[in-house]
Amino acid sequence: MPVITIDKRYLKRLTEPDLGDEKLAERISKLGFNVESMDEKEISIEITSNRPDLLGAVGLARAINHFSHKSKRFHYQITEEAPLLEIVVGAGVRKTRPYIASLAVTGLKFDEVSLANLLNATDKFTETYGRQRKKIAIGLHNLDEVSAPLRYDAYKNEKFVPLSGTGEMAYSDIIEKTEKGRRYAETIPKSGAKRFPVLKDEKGALALIPIINSERTKVTKETKNLLVDVTGISEYLVNKTADLLAANFMDMGASVRKVQIVYRNKTVITPQLSTDSVRVPVSMLENEIGVEIGVNNVGSLADKMGYESSYTGNIVNFLVPTYRFDVINEQDIVEDIAIAYGYEYIRPAPIRSVNSGGLDTLTIYRSSITEAMAGLGFDQMMNSYLSNDQVNFTMMRMPVEKSAVRIRNPKSESITMMRTWIVPSLLRNIAASQNVPSPLEAFELDMAFTMKNGKPIEGYHMAAVSAGSRSDFNTIKAVYESVSKEMGVECKIEAANHPSFIEGRCAKIVANGKGIGFMGEIHPQVLNNFGIEEPTAALEIEL
Amino acid sequence: MHRYEKAVLEALRKKHPLSLDELAERSGVGRDGMLWAIENLSKERLVEVSRTESSEAILTDEGAHYAASGLPEARLLKRLKEGTVKVSAMQEPEEQIGFQWAKKNGLVKIVGGNIMLSEKGVTDTEEGIAAEKVLRQLSKDPASYGFLAKNSVEAISELSKRNLIRVRKRSRIKDVSITQRGISADLSGRADEGIGALTKSMIASGEWKGKSFKPYDVNVPVERRVGGRLHPLYRLMEKIRRSYISNGFLEVHGPVIDSAFWVFDALFQPQDHPARDAQDTFYLSGIDEAELGEKDYVRQIKNAHTKGWRYRWSLETAKEMVLRTHTTNVSAHYIYDVFSKIGEESASIATPLKFFSLGKVFRNENIDYRHLADFYMTDGIIIGKDLTLANLFDTILKLYGWLGTEIRFKPAYFPFVEPGVELYAYSNELKEWIEFGGAGLIRKEITGFRRKTMNVLAWGVAVERLMQIRPGCNVRSITELYGNSLEWTRGRGGMNECLL
Repeated sequence: MPVITIDKRYLKRLTEPDLGDEKLAERISKLGFNVESMDEKEISIEITSNRPDLLGAVGLARAINHFSHKSKRFHYQITEEAPLLEIVVGAGVRKTRPYIASLAVTGLKFDEVSLANLLNATDKFTETYGRQRKKIAIGLHNLDEVSAPLRYDAYKNEKFVPLSGTGEMAYSDIIEKTEKGRRYAETIPKSGAKRFPVLKDEKGALALIPIINSERTKVTKETKNLLVDVTGISEYLVNKTADLLAANFMDMGASVRKVQIVYRNKTVITPQLSTDSVRVPVSMLENEIGVEIGVNNVGSLADKMGYESSYTGNIVNFLVPTYRFDVINEQDIVEDIAIAYGYEYIRPAPIRSVNSGGLDTLTIYRSSITEAMAGLGFDQMMNSYLSNDQVNFTMMRMPVEKSAVRIRNPKSESITMMRTWIVPSLLRNIAASQNVPSPLEAFELDMAFTMKNGKPIEGYHMAAVSAGSRSDFNTIKAVYESVSKEMGVECKIEAANHPSFIEGRCAKIVANGKGIGFMGEIHPQVLNNFGIEEPTAALEIEL
Repeated sequence: MHRYEKAVLEALRKKHPLSLDELAERSGVGRDGMLWAIENLSKERLVEVSRTESSEAILTDEGAHYAASGLPEARLLKRLKEGTVKVSAMQEPEEQIGFQWAKKNGLVKIVGGNIMLSEKGVTDTEEGIAAEKVLRQLSKDPASYGFLAKNSVEAISELSKRNLIRVRKRSRIKDVSITQRGISADLSGRADEGIGALTKSMIASGEWKGKSFKPYDVNVPVERRVGGRLHPLYRLMEKIRRSYISNGFLEVHGPVIDSAFWVFDALFQPQDHPARDAQDTFYLSGIDEAELGEKDYVRQIKNAHTKGWRYRWSLETAKEMVLRTHTTNVSAHYIYDVFSKIGEESASIATPLKFFSLGKVFRNENIDYRHLADFYMTDGIIIGKDLTLANLFDTILKLYGWLGTEIRFKPAYFPFVEPGVELYAYSNELKEWIEFGGAGLIRKEITGFRRKTMNVLAWGVAVERLMQIRPGCNVRSITELYGNSLEWTRGRGGMNECLL
């Protein structure tokens, strides 16, 4: 989940300047977010991924103000209906990044802190919710430097001065040679692309989308008016993002003007500031949360979460604010009302029913074998299910078997597959225990994984090792006798060869005509490979 | 002379030198008693002890840091793969270190103030730097030093030179031999007074009557009997199971290897959710697709995604096989089974159904001293009519009351529940609230909207985490539980008390 770090004093300035640190943290926590850290200057908060509207100080302050009844702003409207600008969308972007929304902002009064917060919040939003700009990207431009007409289209490789750049650069060079370009390169169609998504005005490129803006329209502390573009692959999300940004700018005290987007087959005016309404019966709120609320009290709880509400009879109508993306249906409203009510005030209520519980029979079976093994003096081990060819096969003198369950996207060489057996794990345990007086005797009863005809087999195995000067085939056979009795399965043993064991001192365990395991004296080369100094005998049975 | 000393000397007079095991067998003295005797005898120069030394490698702090984050030159190679870097850009101390070693080992060349990959550097970028692989191996298994010192000589010598590993010698007794003094020493000593060992025939014949028993020195060390010990984590899981069944839950199990459909899609996790990223989830190769649910159910989930998350849901993505990232996949299977059986007419169940499962889950983490790639988790669900958030709170308090510390509920977000809850317990030892799980009411997109009053309460708890919370367990870091040397299981014996 994303963690945002914001200027603490700025957040207080937007909420209550005199609020103590602890009170501030408590309010954020009651809203359902964790304060990760706080110092003199900054506060870091983990924002859950369903609330992209809270990824900056302005949005967070709005939620805090609603929650403490300090704000009753539920509506965001633009009085001036006529669009200030027009952006024509060309056919070149139709297959790659087809949607754009835009808004114009006037009358901004930035200072260092509020500008930094805006840029950080925008970046956080596009990195997390926007999936590294793949899904949504946002561009901010100085409106006073923009000259109509505007066009968003795919263009041939041309040059412009990118933000903070020293000179003109070709689009292709920006993508290949700058850090940002490489970072977001995958949002642009693969190499060989001759055309690049660009937003242009009369004077040239405003932005190579979604990578970098132009130096010409750079936003600074002195900027009073902005042109904002939002691009992406979902029209709904692009438009909603414009709504969210419009609400944020209005909360910053600026005015917002609309922009007309001309697609090939339709014209859209953004921001739309769309809202939804959801009807929820009071009984549903009460029955899901398990508290009595009463229709008269729902309004105040709705206020706390930023919903305008009204009711007829027992049905409450909630107006979902324009900046919320995550409210799908009444269940989401139930949660918000529960948060407003306060989880700490919900009194735990027992479920009035009697059930008889019980363990999985396999669990009981495994427990009896586990206890038998501990009774024989073996220490229980619990190891990772994950392994690699080196440990699972090579160090065991086995050829690498293709039939193991393999990981497609390993991060390291130590984890590339699921273990096919447990003995290698136990040999590592023995190797790590050599300052303990011998004999070292350990067992593990847990899962190992193999493949058969393209299907994974998830099995429980019991493996045991005994390492010490007198640990030999008979030592481990004695253990096998005990265990097979406990298993209640008729087993036979047959002399067998297995590369991990000394030839002539290894047996295969057979039940119902099927091999279910091996036991024997571990081959000295294997002992050398693991760095084990004493003779070791081992056993492994599939349960 | 004590009888242990006598027994040891007598054995050595017959044959020497003897290893400890041979000596134990021939003298019939328990190990600790024998070691005590050998020490006394060697002080009097009656025996001579010869030792062997073996080695293991311990990572220094710097070594442990690199084992976790990679050697600095490996990070440099990664940067170089994307283009040249100026020598002057090597500012930070770690960049400097990485640069120096890359230069020294011929991984890079410098052309006109720019650093570029050498041929060897290109190979090492592909295959990984040998020293780094060895370092990671040692961080997991210090005793593999013996093996590596023979097979990866250069890497080991580099790591030592760079002070990333410290080799620790372990000295152990190889064998014991007798000295000339020992051969000629008088073993008869003072005549024993009274009965030594009581025998079966003495008891039968009454021979012992009227005689005194020779007193023993109660301070002579004996060999401790070490029984097999259950792993603390196993005991913890037994405790969790007991708590579930005493609260009326039935244990169920489900697949570890499952399709993304059951691990993510059926739990309303959108297909571009970061948790589904290859960075976080292990994807498997070469496995046939698992069964998804009935066509209708798959359509229900597809529609929920399309409507709720507004994207084009892909069946192919849902069919990918993964190692489950939570045991909630088992809950998803059971929710589907139950709801597909009860049908729509009988949309209620008289008595709530209570299930739990417990098993391993996986995260694609780089493992180090703080992170594990697999650990245990337990999930529970209750399916029934008119179940509430207040019921959920009560259930959690009853199931985890044995933790013996205060439990708190906080609002939280998980895609498959609404309302969502995070579970916190107060650790008296760490003096902080520790998150130990998540919970909530399963979304109706998953259970089906038509069963309006039917709810599913669900929760998942990180098993190892409970050990950090439960007073008396004293587990600081979760990886400690997977130390897995016999020294550790034996040493941690007392921990079992806190898990009774």
